[in-house]
Amino acid sequence: MNEILGVAIAASIAWLNFVIIDTFMGLPEVPGVKGADIISHSIKERGGDLAGGFFQGNILCSPDASAGTLLASIGVMLIGIEGGIISTFFVFIGNRLCADPGYAGTCGALTTTLIVVAFSYIGFTPEMFVVGMVIAITTIQGIHHPTSSKLLGNIAKTMNKYTKLD
Amino acid sequence: MIVHVGETYLLLSYLIAITTSIIIAIGLKMPILPEKPRRFSWTNSAVFPTPIIALGLLAICFSINFIWIYNGIVLAIITGVVSALFVKYLFYYVFPNPPETMEEVNE
Repeated sequence: MNEILGVAIAASIAWLNFVIIDTFMGLPEVPGVKGADIISHSIKERGGDLAGGFFQGNILCSPDASAGTLLASIGVMLIGIEGGIISTFFVFIGNRLCADPGYAGTCGALTTTLIVVAFSYIGFTPEMFVVGMVIAITTIQGIHHPTSSKLLGNIAKTMNKYTKLD
Repeated sequence: MIVHVGETYLLLSYLIAITTSIIIAIGLKMPILPEKPRRFSWTNSAVFPTPIIALGLLAICFSINFIWIYNGIVLAIITGVVSALFVKYLFYYVFPNPPETMEEVNE
């Protein structure tokens, strides 16, 4: 498969995977730790959305589905399906050390392991998913916080996971 | 793939590890599911995180090519039992206790 096309498709899949799982697991609802709260209010002051800010703060402060997606892709790239499962285990340990129950991170890593292994049968390499995930996380955390937080807030509203705090 | 066992046996071993860990965890009187709302629950249950730990330990053994007897099936049962015992008795000795309430964070 063409590499550029593969990376683009892998980036979209990784983006959908981690945003849907993280939103479903309630990241936009409450800040898990104080750091996430501070980040979200800072984003809100700059014209962003509070629920989207909670999402961004939470994925910054503990390994959620975003980190799970990236680490599982790297694990599968290095040693195959075992790597994906081992990275799920380590993401869970990382979650617990970061005051996070760990549902989002482990679900994200497990689903990514399955996705990467399944897509390897139709020509996608794990490397494409690693690059795709880096691109996906850059669109959320690296370009413009207020815009991406508004998008995440709208997704949270659609999935009925919008925060009740202010 | 590093492991030199048929993929069917690998899949079977992982399924056995998941099943054993859940059964032993239920046998140790752990709740089957966390209480609601589940996504914010800190309760260790039979479904989460016991199978994750069993899978992780088994995958680590397989990745260093330690398969032992019967194509890894015995190892799968042992990791299932060990992970259930770990989650029941040693979990909070290794990992930090959950934060008391979320309210103080939100204020």
